[in-house]
Amino acid sequence: MYSRAWVRVRSTYGEPLWVAVNLAVPLLSSLAMALLYGSTGLSRYTGFAILGGIMLAFWGNVLWSMASQFNWDKEVGIFEIYLVSPAPITAVLVGMSLGGILATLPSAALVAFIGWAVFSTTVTPAWDAVFLTFALTLASLYAMGMLMSSLYLAYGREAESMNSAIGEPISFLSGLYFPSIGAGSPFPFALQLAASVIPLTIGMDALRKAVFYADSIRNVQFNLEILAVMAVILLYLSDRALTALENKGRREGTLVVRLR
Amino acid sequence: MRLVRAVVASAWMGWQREMEWANPLLCFIVKAVAPIAAVLTAAAVYWFGSSFAGLFTPEHLAYIIVGSSLYAQVGAYTYVPTSAIAEGKWSNLYPQVFITPPSSIPYLAGRCLASFADSAPVVAISLAVSYYASYALFGKSPTFIVTLTSTLMVAAALVASLPCAVGLGYVLGSYSVFVSRFEWALPSYVSGLLMIFSEALFPASVLPYPLPVLAEALPFTYLMRASRAALIYNSWSLYISSMTYLTLGGLVVLAIGIYTFSVAEDSARRKGLLDKKVM
Repeated sequence: MYSRAWVRVRSTYGEPLWVAVNLAVPLLSSLAMALLYGSTGLSRYTGFAILGGIMLAFWGNVLWSMASQFNWDKEVGIFEIYLVSPAPITAVLVGMSLGGILATLPSAALVAFIGWAVFSTTVTPAWDAVFLTFALTLASLYAMGMLMSSLYLAYGREAESMNSAIGEPISFLSGLYFPSIGAGSPFPFALQLAASVIPLTIGMDALRKAVFYADSIRNVQFNLEILAVMAVILLYLSDRALTALENKGRREGTLVVRLR
Repeated sequence: MRLVRAVVASAWMGWQREMEWANPLLCFIVKAVAPIAAVLTAAAVYWFGSSFAGLFTPEHLAYIIVGSSLYAQVGAYTYVPTSAIAEGKWSNLYPQVFITPPSSIPYLAGRCLASFADSAPVVAISLAVSYYASYALFGKSPTFIVTLTSTLMVAAALVASLPCAVGLGYVLGSYSVFVSRFEWALPSYVSGLLMIFSEALFPASVLPYPLPVLAEALPFTYLMRASRAALIYNSWSLYISSMTYLTLGGLVVLAIGIYTFSVAEDSARRKGLLDKKVM
């Protein structure tokens, strides 16, 4: 676990260009959405867009560096090394998650800094609630990434198209830039319910409350409990899915087939 | 004639690469889902912001839906030549294309044409789905003028934007021939900047001076304006002036793109970078 996390951290911090590269999408998307808020006369909500950009950095990392990572590892021949090493694959995935979080932090911090510097957004954070919500959101989000990574083992190059297809819909449903559940949501109740299955939705709702409305841990307790339960369930499911698909791949001899 | 054949063959190859990895219907659905979600995200942000401020208008919603739907088309182009070159280096296809008599310029043009062919229907699908989804989600429909004439006007604007898109593709391709990693970094920035500067979501006047000047100089801005003139404002004068700028500006970008790419490719050949694999 430590080794996989270290590789990811080292690759980012040893090559600062990675930070600039990872910054493009979350920064420019959040700036565009903040300007859209500004153009509709509601500059006080530009902070929602910046917060969305921060979390988009992590969501992008989950999609492209967790979910489809095994597919790329297969293509370059690293996946075989994981299989023959004594380390459990789940530990490799957890290490990849921890390394991914640490590697994404500089990009996310830069989105926050540039966003707040450009738009001078007012925040009234309850820091304990912010940190706890942030930690639990990332835990459940990366657990979802581990599950996706396990499922993507069954795919070849389709994984890239799948990522492109699901990235935006999940950003939309989870309300990265606007409240998608609760007060202010444009969605009907059924859609809000469906969106609530995504950890990012629950996390964004709690983060907005904690960052902009100073809601304490007690006020976002329900969200935190859901996030904790989601993290445990997703971790369990990813472990089961990984074992099942790994065994299936071994039987069918497709586990390390490249360029399918 | 040889050039035309090379462009057609490359376009066919691009089409197969983009649309034949699964059932074509599934490919279209997969391609359309992300742009539709992006359009609805922008519409939801507008709905949320403007409803609280009491400033919501169906016309402004239409403005955002048209712009963000077209942005999906513009955004798609920025990755095509980069990915064609990067993947081609990795699979050794690009050096082989380079040594053919027509070389790589018609190849990239063909790949951009394929991207146009598969992403133009996505614009129409995004507009249609967003229209109905807006009513379902927000209880408001954007005010579109949908007639045969307005549809043809938008189609003509999309075709007129093609030289500019291909030109941008060549410029970004010039970068790709030199790099062997982070090849998608520059297209990500260019794509993101186009979202801000091409009036996809808001008028350029929202930007602080002198940034609106840059937005006014971009031909893609006039693609947005021409399409809105057809679908929202029903203004022939705005349409014609925008189309004129879009066409002329696009030709200038295309010329710059071809020149830049030729120089870059020649330099990369001399430095031995054309077959350096992307890591």
